[in-house]
Amino acid sequence: METLVRVTDLSRRFGARLALSDVNLALERGHVLGLLGPNGAGKTTCLRLLAGVLAPSAGRIEILGLDLAREGREARRHLGYLPDRPPLYPELRVDEYLRFCARLRGIPRRRIAGALDEAKHRCGLDAMGRHPIARLSKGFRQRLGLAQAIIHRPRLLILDEPTEGLDPYQMRAMRALIRELAQECGVIFSSHLLPEVQAVCDRVAILHQGRMLYGDYLAADQAPHLWRVRLSWPSAQAAGALNEAEGCARLTELATVHAATALGEGRFRVVLADGASSADLSRDILGAGLALYELQPERSDLERIFFDLTGAEDPQ
Amino acid sequence: MILTLAARELRSGLVTPMLWVLLGAGQVVLAWIFLQVLEDFSALDAAARAAPLTLELTLNLFGFAAVVVMLAAPLLAQRMLSSEFREASFDLLEAAPVRRLSLVLGKFLGLWLLLAPLCLLPALNVALLAGTVALDAGQLAAATLGLWLAGGFFAAVGLYASSLSAQPGASVLAAFGLLLLFSVIGRAEPLLSTSLSLFGWLAWNEHLLWFLFGAVRLSDLLYFLLFTVFFLALTERRLVNRRFA
Repeated sequence: METLVRVTDLSRRFGARLALSDVNLALERGHVLGLLGPNGAGKTTCLRLLAGVLAPSAGRIEILGLDLAREGREARRHLGYLPDRPPLYPELRVDEYLRFCARLRGIPRRRIAGALDEAKHRCGLDAMGRHPIARLSKGFRQRLGLAQAIIHRPRLLILDEPTEGLDPYQMRAMRALIRELAQECGVIFSSHLLPEVQAVCDRVAILHQGRMLYGDYLAADQAPHLWRVRLSWPSAQAAGALNEAEGCARLTELATVHAATALGEGRFRVVLADGASSADLSRDILGAGLALYELQPERSDLERIFFDLTGAEDPQ
Repeated sequence: MILTLAARELRSGLVTPMLWVLLGAGQVVLAWIFLQVLEDFSALDAAARAAPLTLELTLNLFGFAAVVVMLAAPLLAQRMLSSEFREASFDLLEAAPVRRLSLVLGKFLGLWLLLAPLCLLPALNVALLAGTVALDAGQLAAATLGLWLAGGFFAAVGLYASSLSAQPGASVLAAFGLLLLFSVIGRAEPLLSTSLSLFGWLAWNEHLLWFLFGAVRLSDLLYFLLFTVFFLALTERRLVNRRFA
């Protein structure tokens, strides 16, 4: 598969502070890579480096085989970039702004009108052409920022927190648009929202304190491995206390359960055995004579990985 | 690409109030000076007049217009880079397949064209006298050319100062500082015992003066060209280095 971007040992210093250290990643066409990390992890720095806005202190970025440092102008032709603040000129109208962006990206004059209409249509800005940018709402500004990034049909799209500040409807529309765009190009986008990354990305890279701690494909169809159950068993209630050790032991005895931990008040965290599903688990629990009150998936695998890697306290 | 960038700057400059405020204020001041020159000139007898009316007009009206343009250039220039750094709209240009030099030249051309109406203001005032008095058109043209060249120099200094900081206020002050230095540096000359007139040569007003006299000298043309190119080159370097900062 065609490699759109290849990053090798990328580092960036701001004075004495190392903002990004030895990042390696590659992205193929049709894939969406999510850069995930807490605030200050180096996501924006990484994206600015990829967009050629910042120069790396060390390392190499290749876009379609073109070295961004040496053949920057040619490499930038294939890039679309939406920074964390959309780069707009409030004094212009939407059409004027997009026409300027199209010329900036070297679109031939005769194709500008078509490119402009298409970008506006994809971003839901059809009726906004004559509107002054200064009067657009935040959501529309974000869309306009995206429209300028895709107007030249780039091969690689870099989006820095594209859903930041959007309402839930706009967020959903933006995610759908990103998925749609990914059919013809590669997308790298940053977010600190785990569900968003899970919903949109094929791959994820977790950054923490400037280092890439994890980078892998997301198995979207994989069933959750961790479940949370709430049980009650009559004998224990009659005795006036829930015996947690006994509950754990009885759950672990089940064929579908690999391990169980007590969380208190009749709640247990259960790790399913390989190949087992939640249906098997509920059947087993009922078969063992335990009263099942609740059964719900535990935090996603990505969430678990994220919290494990970034060393954050488990909130539960 | 240079024209695209310049056209965008022109468009933005024309739809924001700064240029119009500067034009309005500049016209009020110049009209006042214009009136005063005419008053003073017509009050004197023909024998008592020290200089022809054209020279009186170029020295006073065009001379003062140069100061107005000098004050206006940094105010217009701060929008070009400094404000763009602050509003993060510069990322659009940074990520675009555009050479830094084209970017600087596009912005400079836009700024220079925005200053053009200000540079033409004294000539437009003088045009009111057309048909009533005989004026030296060549001298007025030379003075206008000198004013516009000085405007280019001010624009280049303003653009460089604008590239120094993401705080528009600071960049305006830096430009004023640089331009004031280039204005007063000629005054250092009498303090020096040597005959070297380097400081005098460095001052822009010494060179503009010849244009106001009606003399278009190659050395003065070269002075404005040299320093305009020098500050544009500094701006380009500054933008290149900014990616490494």
